[in-house]
This record gives sequence, C-alpha cells and structure tokens, in this order.
Amino acid sequence: MVIFTIAHHTFREAIRKKILYVLFGLGIIIIIISPLFPTIDEPDARVKMMLVVFFQVVMLLCIVGILLLSATSLPSEIEEKTIYGILSKPVSRLKIVVGKIIGFAFLSALLLTILSLLNVILIQRIASRLPEGYKSILKARNEFKASKFCIQGKSHHTSEGIVWIKGGRTGIALWSFSDLCKKPNSKSSFEVEFDIKVESSKGFINTIPLAVGIEDTFQGRSKTEVLSLRIDEPLTLKIDPEIVRNGSAINITVFPIQGTDYIGVTQNDVKIFSVQKGFVSNYAKAIVITFLKFLLIVIIAVMGSTYLSAPVSIASALVVFLCGHILDFIKDFSLLIQRHDVHEHALPTMLKKPDVFLIYLDYIVKKPLEWFSVILPDFKRFDSLKFLLKGINIPLETVGVVLGYTTIYAGICIFISSVILKKREFF
Amino acid sequence: MNNFAVKTEGLTKVYKDFWRRKSTPALTNLNLNVERGEIFGLLGPNGSGKTTTIKLLLGLLFPTSGKSWLLGYPSSDLKIKNKIGFLPEESYLYKFLNAEEILDFYGKLFDIQRKERKCRIDRLIQDVGLEPYRKRPLSQYSKGMLRRIGLAQAIINDPELVILDEPTSGLDPIGSYEIKELILEFKRQGKTVVLCTHLLADVQNVCDRVAILDKGILQVIGSVRELLSQKDAIEFLVRNLSDDDIHAVESFIRNKNGDVLSVCHPSSTLEDIFINIIHNRK
Ligand SMILES: Nc1ncnc2c1ncn2[C@@H]1O[C@H](COP(=O)(O)OP(=O)(O)OP(=O)(O)O)[C@@H](O)[C@H]1O
Ligand SMILES: [Mg+2]
Repeated sequence: MVIFTIAHHTFREAIRKKILYVLFGLGIIIIIISPLFPTIDEPDARVKMMLVVFFQVVMLLCIVGILLLSATSLPSEIEEKTIYGILSKPVSRLKIVVGKIIGFAFLSALLLTILSLLNVILIQRIASRLPEGYKSILKARNEFKASKFCIQGKSHHTSEGIVWIKGGRTGIALWSFSDLCKKPNSKSSFEVEFDIKVESSKGFINTIPLAVGIEDTFQGRSKTEVLSLRIDEPLTLKIDPEIVRNGSAINITVFPIQGTDYIGVTQNDVKIFSVQKGFVSNYAKAIVITFLKFLLIVIIAVMGSTYLSAPVSIASALVVFLCGHILDFIKDFSLLIQRHDVHEHALPTMLKKPDVFLIYLDYIVKKPLEWFSVILPDFKRFDSLKFLLKGINIPLETVGVVLGYTTIYAGICIFISSVILKKREFF
Repeated sequence: MNNFAVKTEGLTKVYKDFWRRKSTPALTNLNLNVERGEIFGLLGPNGSGKTTTIKLLLGLLFPTSGKSWLLGYPSSDLKIKNKIGFLPEESYLYKFLNAEEILDFYGKLFDIQRKERKCRIDRLIQDVGLEPYRKRPLSQYSKGMLRRIGLAQAIINDPELVILDEPTSGLDPIGSYEIKELILEFKRQGKTVVLCTHLLADVQNVCDRVAILDKGILQVIGSVRELLSQKDAIEFLVRNLSDDDIHAVESFIRNKNGDVLSVCHPSSTLEDIFINIIHNRK
C-alpha cells in the first residue's frame, strides 16, 4: 500500500530528528518528577497534580513537537525537491497528504502510549497508598442528575437561582432520581455527593448538622441519617445498594437540623454516582480523546503546509491551536462588540450621527471573529482531564461525539489539502 | 491515442512571478514526437527550457497552454507513471537513508512485491557500482555516487520510457561512459530514452535523434547522422601507407578535381585516452 509506504517513510524521517528525542526525554522527566511537585495537604491532591501535569504540560509539549514536525514535513520536501521522487511515481497527491497524516498519527500514538503508560503506572503506585475515602479519584463513576427538585414546606428566600432553607424542619429540599439502574450491575455501588452552600447565624463555624433522608420510592423504605456537613466542602455518602437495586428510583431529602443554620440549594447540587473500579479504562478513554486531538492538530498542520512555507505553516498551525482553546473567549469577545449594536439601533441614537468607528469595528473585528470562531476547531471538546479529576466515567457517547467531530473536521481538511496540493506546481 | 513515446502539441510554459503576473517565457509552442524505442536527445544551452519541458511532461508543472502525452496517454494520467523512470537534474534524495533503504522506498511506491523488490535492489546496486557503500547513509555520499543511486532509482520499475535530465553531471568519465553504455543497453531492451543535456559529446555517440532548444523555442529536430553529415565531403581512414603513397593519392584526387581539405593523423578524444588509461590500470 502506497499510503502506508509514505506513512512509514514520514514516521522514519520524524524519528531521526533530534527535536523528538528532546521532547520525549523532557516529557519522561516531567512525568517522573511530577509526584514531587508541592501540592496542598489533601491526600489525593498529589494524584490530581500528576494528572494535571500530564494532560496539560506534557501533552502540550508533545503537541507542539508533533505540530512542528508535521507542519514542516511537506514544505521541506518541496524545498529540498525530494517531492519530485514521489510525484514522478504513480502516487496521487491525496495519498501523499493522507500518508503524511497517518505517519504522524502513528508517531503521536506511540508517544502517547509510552508516556501515558509511565504516568498511569506512577499514579497507581502513589494512589495505592491513599486512605480509603480518597480513592474516588481512582474510580470511574457514572453521574446521575436529579430529574426533579422541589422544596417541601417553605423556603426562606431565593437569590440568584439558589433556594435558601432555614433549619429546623421549616422546609425540606427534595431531589428525585429515576433510572438509576438501567443496566443492573452487581459490581457497581452507589454514592451521593452533596455540594450544598451553608450559612449560619452563629457566625464562624466549621460544620453544621444535616438530616439526610434516602427513600426508595418503589417500596417506600427510607433511611435517615444525621451528617455533619463541612462548610465549602462536598460531602459524599454511600447508599445501601439494596435500596437502589429494587427501586431504581429514589428520593433524597435534606434539611439543616438547627434553626440557626441555612442551606442554599439548586437542582444540580445533589448528584448520585454509580461507582465502578476502572480508573485504567477511563484513563485509556481520556488518552483516546487526547489522541484524536493530536490527530486533528496534525491534520490542520499538514493542511496548512500544503500551501505555506515551513515557518508560516508552523505559525498558522500554532495560531489555530491556541485560538481553538480560547474559542469561548473569541465568541464572548465578538458578542461584547455586538452589545454596541443594540444601543445603535435604539430609537434615540438613530437620530444621532452613527459612530463611524463602531461601524468599522463591526466589519473589521466582529465579522472576521465570528467567522473565525465558526471555522476554528473547538478543542474544548477534547478536554478529558475534567472527567479524570472528578473520577467520573467518560461516557462512551462523549468519545463517540469527539470521534465524529474529528472525522468530519478531518474529512473537510483532507479534502481542502488535496485540492490545494492538486493545484500546486513544483518548481 | 497515439503510438509515440512522448508527444507534445503546442506545449507552452510561462512562469509567473510572486504577484501571479506572467514573467518568464520558458517554453514556447513545443511540438515533439519521440518514437518508441529511440534515444532522443533534448539539447540546449543553460536556461533553454529543457528541465521545464520534463517537469511539464511529468506533471510537476502545468502547461500555460498545449498538451502532452506519454506512451499514448495524457501525461496527467497517474497510471502511466508505472512505466516511466525519471532522473531529476540534481540528486534530490533523502539524505538520512542508505542506498538500500531509499531504493526500497521507491520500489514500494511502485507497489513492487517484496521478493522482486529485493532482487532488483541487489542487482541495481551492483549495476551502478555502489555495492561497497550500500549501508552508508546518503549524507556521506559523493555527488557522483548520489547520481548513481539516482539512476538506479529511475529504473527500479523497469520502465518503458526513461527520462534522464543531465545524467552525466557530476560523474567521472568512467561513470559517464558507463551511463552511455547503459543507455545503449536500454535501447537494446526496447526502452525509449529521453536525454537532456548540454554536453554534446554525450549525445553524439548515443542519440538517434535530437532536438535543440534555445530560449524555449525549438530550433532544430532531426537524426544525429543527418544533422552531422556533410553531404559534399568524404573522409578516408587508412593505415600502413607510406609518405610517398600519401602524396600519390593526394595528387590523384587533385587530378580528379577534388579539393583536399585536410590530410592528418586522426586524433582520439581525451575521453578515449582517459578511459583507456583507467581500464588498463584495472
Ligand atoms: N521557478 C521558476 N520561476 C521563474 N522562472 C524559471 C523558474 N524555473 C526556471 N525558470 C526559467 O525558465 C527558463 C528555462 O529554465 P530550465 O530550467 O528549463 O532550463 P534548462 O534548459 O534546464 O537549463 P540548464 O541546462 O541550466 O538545466 C530559464 O530562463 C529560467 O530562468
Ligand atoms: Mg536543466
């Protein structure tokens, strides 16, 4: 297969470059010293730090390295005219582009595999010494949001969407969950996480007593516990698996016991998680998503390099990469400029002379920014770190959506590259 | 369909400058027919458009106007490249590979089966005289050695049409002699060869027909013998004749109203001497 010949060749060329070994060595060093980075005192902070360092720092290094290699590969072939040797053979230009991409994809996969194996082994070692309560980071939890949320009795007041309840049974917050057990799995256990805001008229205190009821709506069994809730800290509570198994629908009720305490709640403040072991498979999913991100960047870099010279194509790929990460910012920014328009169209200002500057701003900055944000790849979709940090199972749908997004985006890019390359002459 | 190895019709190329304005006319209205099985020389001084012609034929450049065919197919047809070998004017090769690896790479681009590929690579490396250096990376090759590996790469697919752009540049006289022998061998195998050069000595002993380009315009086209023969003169090459006999022959010709233009000992070319010396040393 000609494509794989080119891919193999691309790979071989890349691994004979020094820059790759520098990055690779640097990556390994950073991963190895990452357990030594200073962190806060919480036992699982070290593991979180290692995850953050790997996914933010090491991956950034690798991405920049791969980007440099893939953005310069084609231009240097054209510059050194070694491309004549390929083009005078029965090789279509599309195959050259795809071959290059596959070569770098393979390189990325190799790099990711080695580095992530090292990282995951280190994490397992460190995490095996964690106290039991903090091992949730090593689990893969499926999140369930409340399907219904209401207040029984009366609330104290509501501000900014948060409902405040005064203690002493004046009001009870109730969250209903359904469909907890779509696929009954005897291995998974369940836990509730409370992320509730707390106020107390007693001034500065650390914990308040909280009455938490868990009710199986199907059989009507319920269990009430008094928990002490630390201020500004989420609280996790295991649920008796029997309750969930029979009913698959449960209600959770909460109220502060003492009349001097207040809690502020919203619908998403209480979540149920089904917990499985499976950090490694979750981590693997995160790596797959990261690989897709690498792939997309390779494709964008190769696409640019079909038309641009090496330095320009590096620069443009970097710009796309950076802007893809601050896409939200760009969107906000163009919205911000739009605010001016609203005033502009208001009746009193219609009579005023239109501000020429604002009109120019509109066409010079806002319109291009809007287009830019539509065209740019949205790298936010590839953020798998947030799942790992919370120990949440990455849903297969998320992986699927990212895969689909990458496929579509890649397809368009490869199409554009092959059109550009077909039109290109080689002097 | 036509049955020419190479055919061009009104092939024209005007290079554009940075602003896409047309600037340098490199080739103007070239009409060429190269028969199958012949050795065709494309001659011309530097900058006359030889390389441009070849790049147009191979689809590296697109013609401003005109058309070209290779082995009967439009030259834009990808399949036809299976039957074409190309040696660029300089050795544009991957310097980080060695001779074996680079031939293997090009062989794979032609989709040649593994066993066959290995076989051909061994033979080609032998043929171009690089056997002792087959594992040495090309970055450590001399210019002539690169040229040789370039030539090997051009014929790895056993092409029907071989396009060579200045094949002898950078080669020692033995090398260029060997190349000439190789080209004649191609002819015996029934291959067509298009040879671009400005070294006329290369052409004279080898080519069947030549075309001479100047400033992108075709000046002459014809068979070498036709172009070189002086129809009104005749030459004898004689051995073992005494001085008296020479005078007698000379006066005999004068009596017959012939003009004797020169009477001298034939000199061999420097190339002949060089090759003799080197061969005798071996
Ligand atoms: N990329 C280019 N851009 C503009 N003009 C070019 C380009 N390449 C070649 N030319 C011009 O086209 C003309 C023909 O060039 P070409 O390379 O075909 O010459 P050549 O016959 O191969 O010469 P040589 O014997 O030196 O190899 C020259 O005048 C050259 O300056
Ligand atoms: Mg030339």
